[in-house]
Amino acid sequence: MIWQQFISLAGSYPLALRGIGMTVVLSLISLVLGTLLGFGLGILRTGGNRLIASVIGAWVDLIRGTPFLVQIFLIFFILPEFGIELDAFTAGIIALTNLAACFICEIVAAGIRSVPTGQVEAALASGLSRWQRMRQVVLPQAMRIVLPPLVGQYVLLIKDSSVVSAIGLTDLTRVGWLVVQRVPNGLLVFFLVGVGYFIVCYPLIMLARRLERRMGAAHGEVQL
Amino acid sequence: MTKTGMIDFRGVNKWFGALNVLKDITLSVEPREVVVVCGPSGSGKSTLIRCVNGLEAIKDGDLVVDGQRLGDPATNMTQLRTEIGFVFQSFNLYPHKTALENVTLAPIHVRKTPRAEAEKAGRELLAKVGLADKVNAYPAQLSGGQQQRVAIARCLGMRPKIMLFDEPTSALDPEMISEVLDVMVAVAEEGMTMMVVTHEMGFARKVAQRVVFMDAGAIVESGTPDEFFSHPRTDRSRAFLSKILRH
Repeated sequence: MIWQQFISLAGSYPLALRGIGMTVVLSLISLVLGTLLGFGLGILRTGGNRLIASVIGAWVDLIRGTPFLVQIFLIFFILPEFGIELDAFTAGIIALTNLAACFICEIVAAGIRSVPTGQVEAALASGLSRWQRMRQVVLPQAMRIVLPPLVGQYVLLIKDSSVVSAIGLTDLTRVGWLVVQRVPNGLLVFFLVGVGYFIVCYPLIMLARRLERRMGAAHGEVQL
Repeated sequence: MTKTGMIDFRGVNKWFGALNVLKDITLSVEPREVVVVCGPSGSGKSTLIRCVNGLEAIKDGDLVVDGQRLGDPATNMTQLRTEIGFVFQSFNLYPHKTALENVTLAPIHVRKTPRAEAEKAGRELLAKVGLADKVNAYPAQLSGGQQQRVAIARCLGMRPKIMLFDEPTSALDPEMISEVLDVMVAVAEEGMTMMVVTHEMGFARKVAQRVVFMDAGAIVESGTPDEFFSHPRTDRSRAFLSKILRH
Protein backbone atom coordinates (compact mmCIF):
# COMPACT_ATOMS: atom_id res chain seq x y z
CA MET A 1 0.00 0.00 0.00
CA ILE A 2 2.85 2.35 0.87
CA TRP A 3 4.38 1.53 -2.50
CA GLN A 4 1.20 2.48 -4.29
CA GLN A 5 1.13 5.75 -2.39
CA PHE A 6 4.70 6.46 -3.50
CA ILE A 7 3.77 5.81 -7.13
CA SER A 8 0.82 8.09 -6.80
CA LEU A 9 2.95 10.74 -5.11
CA ALA A 10 5.54 10.53 -7.82
CA GLY A 11 2.74 11.26 -10.28
CA SER A 12 2.09 14.53 -8.43
CA TYR A 13 5.54 15.88 -8.98
CA PRO A 14 4.51 18.52 -11.57
CA LEU A 15 2.12 19.90 -8.98
CA ALA A 16 4.87 19.81 -6.34
CA LEU A 17 7.22 21.70 -8.63
CA ARG A 18 4.54 24.30 -9.26
CA GLY A 19 4.08 24.63 -5.51
CA ILE A 20 7.78 25.06 -4.84
CA GLY A 21 7.95 27.52 -7.73
CA MET A 22 5.11 29.56 -6.27
CA THR A 23 6.70 29.56 -2.82
CA VAL A 24 10.04 30.66 -4.25
CA VAL A 25 8.60 33.36 -6.53
CA LEU A 26 6.34 34.70 -3.81
CA SER A 27 9.18 34.76 -1.28
CA LEU A 28 11.69 36.24 -3.68
CA ILE A 29 9.48 39.10 -4.83
CA SER A 30 8.29 40.00 -1.35
CA LEU A 31 11.75 39.68 0.19
CA VAL A 32 13.29 41.99 -2.40
CA LEU A 33 10.47 44.53 -2.07
CA GLY A 34 10.34 44.09 1.71
CA THR A 35 14.09 44.63 2.01
CA LEU A 36 13.98 47.85 0.00
CA LEU A 37 10.97 49.11 1.91
CA GLY A 38 12.39 47.89 5.23
CA PHE A 39 15.66 49.79 4.72
CA GLY A 40 13.72 52.91 3.81
CA LEU A 41 11.51 52.61 6.87
CA GLY A 42 14.48 51.80 9.11
CA ILE A 43 16.32 54.92 7.94
CA LEU A 44 13.23 57.09 8.45
CA ARG A 45 12.61 55.49 11.86
CA THR A 46 16.03 56.62 13.08
CA GLY A 47 15.91 59.96 11.25
CA GLY A 48 15.23 63.21 13.01
CA ASN A 49 11.46 63.43 12.45
CA ARG A 50 9.64 62.31 15.60
CA LEU A 51 6.21 62.12 13.98
CA ILE A 52 7.35 59.93 11.09
CA ALA A 53 9.37 57.75 13.48
CA SER A 54 6.44 57.17 15.81
CA VAL A 55 3.97 56.47 12.98
CA ILE A 56 6.36 53.85 11.59
CA GLY A 57 6.94 52.48 15.10
CA ALA A 58 3.18 52.10 15.68
CA TRP A 59 2.68 50.36 12.32
CA VAL A 60 5.59 47.99 12.94
CA ASP A 61 4.24 47.12 16.41
CA LEU A 62 0.77 46.51 14.97
CA ILE A 63 2.05 44.17 12.26
CA ARG A 64 4.45 42.37 14.57
CA GLY A 65 1.74 42.01 17.20
CA THR A 66 -0.97 40.42 15.03
CA PRO A 67 -1.03 36.99 13.36
CA PHE A 68 -0.01 36.95 9.73
CA LEU A 69 -3.09 34.87 8.89
CA VAL A 70 -5.31 37.67 10.17
CA GLN A 71 -3.37 40.27 8.16
CA ILE A 72 -3.72 38.28 4.96
CA PHE A 73 -7.46 37.77 5.53
CA LEU A 74 -7.88 41.50 6.09
CA ILE A 75 -6.12 42.29 2.84
CA PHE A 76 -7.82 39.61 0.77
CA PHE A 77 -11.36 39.54 2.18
CA ILE A 78 -11.91 42.90 3.83
CA LEU A 79 -10.33 45.30 1.32
CA PRO A 80 -12.80 44.27 -1.42
CA GLU A 81 -15.56 45.57 0.87
CA PHE A 82 -14.01 48.99 0.32
CA GLY A 83 -13.82 48.48 -3.42
CA ILE A 84 -10.21 47.29 -3.59
CA GLU A 85 -10.29 43.98 -5.43
CA LEU A 86 -7.03 42.06 -5.39
CA ASP A 87 -6.21 38.71 -6.86
CA ALA A 88 -4.75 36.19 -4.44
CA PHE A 89 -1.21 36.57 -5.78
CA THR A 90 -1.16 40.35 -5.41
CA ALA A 91 -2.74 40.13 -1.97
CA GLY A 92 -0.11 37.55 -0.95
CA ILE A 93 2.74 39.75 -2.22
CA ILE A 94 1.37 42.80 -0.43
CA ALA A 95 0.88 40.98 2.85
CA LEU A 96 4.30 39.30 2.78
CA THR A 97 6.10 42.46 1.66
CA ASN A 98 4.51 44.42 4.47
CA LEU A 99 5.45 41.77 7.01
CA ALA A 100 9.01 41.57 5.72
CA ALA A 101 9.36 45.37 5.68
CA CYS A 102 8.24 45.67 9.30
CA PHE A 103 10.67 43.09 10.62
CA ILE A 104 13.53 44.38 8.45
CA CYS A 105 12.77 47.97 9.51
CA GLU A 106 13.51 47.03 13.13
CA ILE A 107 16.68 45.14 12.21
CA VAL A 108 17.96 48.09 10.15
CA ALA A 109 17.02 50.62 12.83
CA ALA A 110 18.92 48.61 15.44
CA GLY A 111 21.95 48.48 13.12
CA ILE A 112 21.87 52.23 12.54
CA ARG A 113 21.55 52.92 16.27
CA SER A 114 24.61 50.75 16.92
CA VAL A 115 26.87 53.12 14.96
CA PRO A 116 28.65 55.38 17.50
CA THR A 117 27.51 59.02 17.63
CA GLY A 118 31.09 60.11 17.06
CA GLN A 119 30.94 58.66 13.55
CA VAL A 120 27.92 60.78 12.67
CA GLU A 121 29.53 63.83 14.26
CA ALA A 122 32.72 63.34 12.25
CA ALA A 123 30.71 63.07 9.05
CA LEU A 124 28.61 66.07 10.03
CA ALA A 125 31.69 68.13 10.87
CA SER A 126 33.24 67.49 7.46
CA GLY A 127 30.14 68.84 5.73
CA LEU A 128 28.62 65.60 4.38
CA SER A 129 24.92 65.92 3.58
CA ARG A 130 22.32 63.82 5.35
CA TRP A 131 22.22 61.23 2.56
CA GLN A 132 26.03 61.17 2.21
CA ARG A 133 26.38 60.56 5.94
CA MET A 134 23.96 57.65 5.70
CA ARG A 135 25.42 56.21 2.51
CA GLN A 136 29.14 56.68 3.20
CA VAL A 137 29.48 56.42 6.96
CA VAL A 138 26.47 55.01 8.79
CA LEU A 139 25.07 52.24 6.55
CA PRO A 140 28.38 50.51 5.79
CA GLN A 141 29.00 50.21 9.53
CA ALA A 142 25.40 49.28 10.32
CA MET A 143 25.48 46.48 7.73
CA ARG A 144 27.85 44.55 9.95
CA ILE A 145 25.14 44.39 12.61
CA VAL A 146 22.27 44.07 10.14
CA LEU A 147 23.35 41.27 7.80
CA PRO A 148 23.26 38.14 10.00
CA PRO A 149 19.78 38.75 11.49
CA LEU A 150 18.55 39.95 8.09
CA VAL A 151 19.33 36.64 6.44
CA GLY A 152 17.87 34.81 9.45
CA GLN A 153 14.70 36.84 8.99
CA TYR A 154 14.54 35.77 5.34
CA VAL A 155 14.29 32.16 6.51
CA LEU A 156 11.40 33.00 8.84
CA LEU A 157 9.61 34.90 6.07
CA ILE A 158 9.92 32.07 3.56
CA LYS A 159 8.27 29.82 6.10
CA ASP A 160 5.60 32.44 6.82
CA SER A 161 4.77 32.43 3.11
CA SER A 162 3.01 29.10 3.72
CA VAL A 163 0.14 31.11 5.18
CA VAL A 164 -0.80 32.38 1.69
CA SER A 165 -2.22 28.93 0.96
CA ALA A 166 -5.14 30.07 3.10
CA ILE A 167 -6.30 32.44 0.35
CA GLY A 168 -6.02 29.80 -2.34
CA LEU A 169 -2.54 30.34 -3.76
CA THR A 170 -1.05 27.05 -4.88
CA ASP A 171 2.20 27.25 -2.95
CA LEU A 172 4.05 24.29 -1.50
CA THR A 173 1.77 24.01 1.54
CA ARG A 174 -1.41 24.08 -0.54
CA VAL A 175 0.04 21.46 -2.84
CA GLY A 176 0.34 19.33 0.28
CA TRP A 177 -3.36 19.84 1.03
CA LEU A 178 -4.31 18.95 -2.55
CA VAL A 179 -2.15 15.86 -2.71
CA VAL A 180 -3.27 14.53 0.63
CA GLN A 181 -6.81 14.31 -0.74
CA ARG A 182 -5.63 11.79 -3.32
CA VAL A 183 -2.97 10.08 -1.25
CA PRO A 184 -4.41 9.61 2.23
CA ASN A 185 -1.10 9.61 4.09
CA GLY A 186 -0.76 12.96 5.81
CA LEU A 187 2.45 12.06 7.57
CA LEU A 188 4.26 11.18 4.36
CA VAL A 189 2.86 14.08 2.33
CA PHE A 190 3.60 16.78 4.85
CA PHE A 191 6.97 15.28 5.63
CA LEU A 192 7.81 15.85 1.97
CA VAL A 193 6.35 19.38 2.12
CA GLY A 194 8.66 20.03 5.07
CA VAL A 195 11.62 18.71 3.11
CA GLY A 196 10.71 21.10 0.27
CA TYR A 197 10.83 24.13 2.61
CA PHE A 198 14.03 22.89 4.16
CA ILE A 199 15.73 22.66 0.77
CA VAL A 200 14.82 26.29 0.08
CA CYS A 201 15.78 27.56 3.53
CA TYR A 202 18.89 25.57 4.38
CA PRO A 203 21.31 27.49 2.10
CA LEU A 204 20.12 30.71 3.75
CA ILE A 205 20.63 29.25 7.22
CA MET A 206 24.19 28.37 6.22
CA LEU A 207 24.71 31.83 4.78
CA ALA A 208 23.47 33.48 7.98
CA ARG A 209 25.86 31.38 10.03
CA ARG A 210 28.81 32.24 7.81
CA LEU A 211 27.97 35.94 7.84
CA GLU A 212 27.71 35.88 11.60
CA ARG A 213 31.18 34.39 11.89
CA ARG A 214 32.70 36.75 9.35
CA MET A 215 31.07 39.85 10.80
CA GLY A 216 32.14 38.80 14.29
CA ALA A 217 35.74 38.51 13.16
CA ALA A 218 35.62 41.76 11.20
CA HIS A 219 34.21 43.55 14.22
CA GLY A 220 37.15 42.59 16.38
CA GLU A 221 39.54 43.68 13.72
CA VAL A 222 38.02 47.01 12.81
CA GLN A 223 36.88 48.13 16.24
CA LEU A 224 38.19 51.54 17.23
CA MET B 1 30.69 95.15 18.45
CA THR B 2 32.52 96.98 15.70
CA LYS B 3 35.25 94.62 14.56
CA THR B 4 34.33 91.11 13.51
CA GLY B 5 36.65 88.21 14.15
CA MET B 6 36.73 84.86 12.44
CA ILE B 7 34.75 83.47 15.38
CA ASP B 8 32.65 85.87 17.44
CA PHE B 9 30.78 84.87 20.58
CA ARG B 10 28.56 87.69 21.87
CA GLY B 11 26.72 86.99 25.10
CA VAL B 12 26.24 83.31 24.28
CA ASN B 13 24.28 81.15 26.71
CA LYS B 14 23.48 77.46 26.63
CA TRP B 15 21.66 75.13 28.97
CA PHE B 16 21.57 71.36 29.29
CA GLY B 17 18.24 71.09 31.10
CA ALA B 18 18.60 73.30 34.17
CA LEU B 19 22.39 73.37 33.91
CA ASN B 20 23.80 76.61 32.50
CA VAL B 21 26.76 75.11 30.61
CA LEU B 22 27.77 78.30 28.83
CA LYS B 23 27.32 81.54 30.74
CA ASP B 24 27.29 84.78 28.85
CA ILE B 25 30.33 83.95 26.71
CA THR B 26 31.89 86.83 24.82
CA LEU B 27 35.01 85.98 22.89
CA SER B 28 36.44 86.94 19.55
CA VAL B 29 39.03 84.94 17.65
CA GLU B 30 40.90 86.81 14.94
CA PRO B 31 41.92 85.29 11.60
CA ARG B 32 45.20 83.34 11.99
CA GLU B 33 44.92 83.48 15.75
CA VAL B 34 45.47 80.39 17.91
CA VAL B 35 43.42 80.34 21.09
CA VAL B 36 43.91 77.65 23.71
CA VAL B 37 40.90 76.91 25.93
CA CYS B 38 41.55 75.21 29.25
CA GLY B 39 39.77 74.61 32.50
CA PRO B 40 38.62 71.83 34.79
CA SER B 41 36.48 69.04 33.39
CA GLY B 42 32.84 70.02 33.08
CA SER B 43 33.73 73.68 32.70
CA GLY B 44 32.07 73.86 29.27
CA LYS B 45 35.21 74.16 27.13
CA SER B 46 34.28 71.28 24.82
CA THR B 47 30.74 72.58 24.53
CA LEU B 48 32.17 75.98 23.65
CA ILE B 49 34.05 74.77 20.59
CA ARG B 50 31.31 72.30 19.61
CA CYS B 51 29.01 75.31 19.25
CA VAL B 52 31.30 76.85 16.63
CA ASN B 53 30.48 74.22 14.00
CA GLY B 54 26.96 73.63 15.25
CA LEU B 55 27.47 70.23 16.87
CA GLU B 56 25.73 71.98 19.77
CA ALA B 57 23.10 74.66 19.33
CA ILE B 58 23.28 77.86 21.36
CA LYS B 59 20.30 79.07 23.34
CA ASP B 60 20.75 82.81 23.17
CA GLY B 61 23.30 85.42 22.23
CA ASP B 62 25.06 85.64 18.89
CA LEU B 63 27.68 83.40 17.43
CA VAL B 64 29.12 84.58 14.13
CA VAL B 65 31.57 82.33 12.30
CA ASP B 66 33.31 83.45 9.11
CA GLY B 67 30.75 86.24 8.78
CA GLN B 68 27.75 83.94 9.08
CA ARG B 69 25.41 84.01 12.06
CA LEU B 70 24.64 80.55 13.45
CA GLY B 71 20.97 79.75 13.77
CA ASP B 72 20.13 82.29 11.09
CA PRO B 73 17.89 80.72 8.43
CA ALA B 74 20.14 82.29 5.78
CA THR B 75 23.17 80.40 7.10
CA ASN B 76 23.82 77.12 5.32
CA MET B 77 25.27 75.08 8.16
CA THR B 78 26.45 72.20 5.96
CA GLN B 79 28.28 74.68 3.74
CA LEU B 80 29.80 76.48 6.74
CA ARG B 81 31.00 73.17 8.24
CA THR B 82 33.10 72.51 5.13
CA GLU B 83 35.18 75.54 6.18
CA ILE B 84 35.67 74.27 9.73
CA GLY B 85 37.83 71.27 10.59
CA PHE B 86 37.04 69.45 13.82
CA VAL B 87 39.45 67.09 15.56
CA PHE B 88 37.86 64.85 18.18
CA GLN B 89 39.33 63.49 21.38
CA SER B 90 38.47 59.95 20.25
CA PHE B 91 39.64 60.53 16.62
CA ASN B 92 36.37 59.22 15.10
CA LEU B 93 38.04 57.92 11.98
CA TYR B 94 35.77 55.87 9.74
CA PRO B 95 36.75 52.29 10.67
CA HIS B 96 35.62 50.80 7.34
CA LYS B 97 37.80 53.12 5.29
CA THR B 98 41.57 53.29 4.85
CA ALA B 99 43.61 56.28 6.00
CA LEU B 100 43.58 57.66 2.46
CA GLU B 101 39.82 57.08 2.06
CA ASN B 102 39.24 58.84 5.37
CA VAL B 103 41.11 61.86 4.02
CA THR B 104 39.51 61.90 0.56
CA LEU B 105 35.88 61.12 1.46
CA ALA B 106 34.72 64.69 2.06
CA PRO B 107 36.84 66.29 -0.72
CA ILE B 108 35.36 63.84 -3.24
CA HIS B 109 31.75 63.95 -2.10
CA VAL B 110 31.41 67.45 -0.71
CA ARG B 111 33.95 69.49 -2.70
CA LYS B 112 33.41 67.30 -5.80
CA THR B 113 37.17 67.09 -6.33
CA PRO B 114 38.01 64.49 -9.01
CA ARG B 115 39.10 61.26 -7.33
CA ALA B 116 42.63 61.21 -8.78
CA GLU B 117 43.25 64.77 -7.68
CA ALA B 118 41.80 64.15 -4.20
CA GLU B 119 43.96 61.07 -3.78
CA LYS B 120 47.08 62.93 -4.81
CA ALA B 121 46.31 65.66 -2.29
CA GLY B 122 45.43 63.04 0.32
CA ARG B 123 48.76 61.26 -0.10
CA GLU B 124 50.59 64.57 0.24
CA LEU B 125 48.68 65.39 3.42
CA LEU B 126 49.36 61.98 4.92
CA ALA B 127 53.04 62.43 4.07
CA LYS B 128 52.93 65.83 5.73
CA VAL B 129 51.67 64.31 8.99
CA GLY B 130 54.36 61.64 8.73
CA LEU B 131 52.19 58.75 7.56
CA ALA B 132 53.22 58.30 3.93
CA ASP B 133 53.65 54.57 4.58
CA LYS B 134 50.19 54.17 6.18
CA VAL B 135 48.09 55.33 3.24
CA ASN B 136 46.30 51.99 2.87
CA ALA B 137 46.12 51.09 6.56
CA TYR B 138 42.76 50.82 8.32
CA PRO B 139 42.28 52.80 11.55
CA ALA B 140 42.38 49.59 13.62
CA GLN B 141 45.89 48.97 12.31
CA LEU B 142 47.14 52.36 13.50
CA SER B 143 48.22 53.55 16.93
CA GLY B 144 46.27 56.30 18.66
CA GLY B 145 48.82 58.94 17.71
CA GLN B 146 48.74 57.82 14.09
CA GLN B 147 44.95 57.81 14.05
CA GLN B 148 44.84 61.34 15.39
CA ARG B 149 47.31 62.49 12.74
CA VAL B 150 45.09 60.92 10.05
CA ALA B 151 42.16 62.78 11.62
CA ILE B 152 44.07 66.06 11.32
CA ALA B 153 44.95 65.26 7.70
CA ARG B 154 41.26 64.50 7.10
CA CYS B 155 40.38 68.00 8.24
CA LEU B 156 43.19 69.63 6.24
CA GLY B 157 41.94 67.85 3.12
CA MET B 158 38.99 70.22 3.07
CA ARG B 159 41.32 73.26 3.19
CA PRO B 160 39.34 74.75 6.09
CA LYS B 161 39.56 78.35 7.28
CA ILE B 162 39.21 77.31 10.92
CA MET B 163 40.29 74.26 12.86
CA LEU B 164 38.83 73.20 16.20
CA PHE B 165 40.57 70.68 18.43
CA ASP B 166 38.66 69.00 21.27
CA GLU B 167 41.27 67.58 23.67
CA PRO B 168 43.18 66.03 20.78
CA THR B 169 45.83 64.39 22.95
CA SER B 170 43.79 63.35 26.01
CA ALA B 171 43.09 59.83 24.74
CA LEU B 172 46.73 59.20 23.79
CA ASP B 173 49.51 57.34 25.52
CA PRO B 174 52.13 59.85 26.73
CA GLU B 175 54.76 58.84 24.17
CA MET B 176 52.36 59.64 21.32
CA ILE B 177 51.35 63.10 22.45
CA SER B 178 54.29 64.96 20.97
CA GLU B 179 53.88 63.50 17.46
CA VAL B 180 50.34 64.91 17.38
CA LEU B 181 51.35 68.24 18.92
CA ASP B 182 54.14 68.62 16.36
CA VAL B 183 51.59 68.35 13.56
CA MET B 184 49.34 70.87 15.30
CA VAL B 185 52.24 73.28 15.70
CA ALA B 186 52.99 72.96 11.98
CA VAL B 187 49.35 73.70 11.14
CA ALA B 188 49.37 76.72 13.46
CA GLU B 189 52.56 78.06 11.94
CA GLU B 190 50.96 78.00 8.50
CA GLY B 191 48.50 80.59 9.78
CA MET B 192 45.42 78.51 10.52
CA THR B 193 42.77 80.03 12.78
CA MET B 194 42.56 77.59 15.64
CA MET B 195 40.64 76.99 18.85
CA VAL B 196 42.26 74.23 20.87
CA VAL B 197 40.87 72.68 24.03
CA THR B 198 43.96 71.28 25.72
CA HIS B 199 46.01 71.28 28.87
CA GLU B 200 49.27 70.97 26.94
CA MET B 201 51.05 74.06 28.14
CA GLY B 202 54.10 73.50 25.98
CA PHE B 203 51.85 73.75 22.93
CA ALA B 204 50.09 76.83 24.31
CA ARG B 205 53.38 78.63 25.01
CA LYS B 206 54.76 77.76 21.61
CA VAL B 207 51.93 78.80 19.29
CA ALA B 208 48.97 80.27 21.15
CA GLN B 209 48.40 84.02 21.12
CA ARG B 210 45.85 83.66 23.88
CA VAL B 211 44.82 81.27 26.64
CA VAL B 212 41.22 81.31 27.79
CA PHE B 213 40.46 79.78 31.17
CA MET B 214 36.93 78.52 31.76
CA ASP B 215 35.24 77.38 34.93
CA ALA B 216 31.60 76.44 35.52
CA GLY B 217 30.55 77.55 32.05
CA ALA B 218 32.07 81.02 32.17
CA ILE B 219 35.28 82.54 30.88
CA VAL B 220 37.12 83.42 34.06
CA GLU B 221 40.39 84.68 32.67
CA SER B 222 42.04 85.28 29.36
CA GLY B 223 45.51 86.45 28.45
CA THR B 224 48.75 85.60 26.67
CA PRO B 225 50.19 82.17 27.58
CA ASP B 226 52.97 83.88 29.47
CA GLU B 227 50.63 86.03 31.58
CA PHE B 228 48.30 83.15 32.24
CA PHE B 229 50.81 80.48 33.18
CA SER B 230 53.25 82.70 35.06
CA HIS B 231 50.86 85.17 36.68
CA PRO B 232 47.35 83.75 36.92
CA ARG B 233 45.06 86.46 38.25
CA THR B 234 42.25 84.48 39.87
CA ASP B 235 42.14 81.93 42.68
CA ARG B 236 40.37 79.47 40.46
CA SER B 237 42.98 79.59 37.73
CA ARG B 238 45.76 79.33 40.32
CA ALA B 239 44.07 76.26 41.84
CA PHE B 240 43.65 74.73 38.39
CA LEU B 241 47.23 75.38 37.34
CA SER B 242 48.62 73.98 40.57
CA LYS B 243 46.76 70.75 39.80
CA ILE B 244 47.93 70.32 36.24
CA LEU B 245 51.47 71.46 37.01
CA ARG B 246 51.93 68.96 39.79
CA HIS B 247 52.34 66.14 37.28
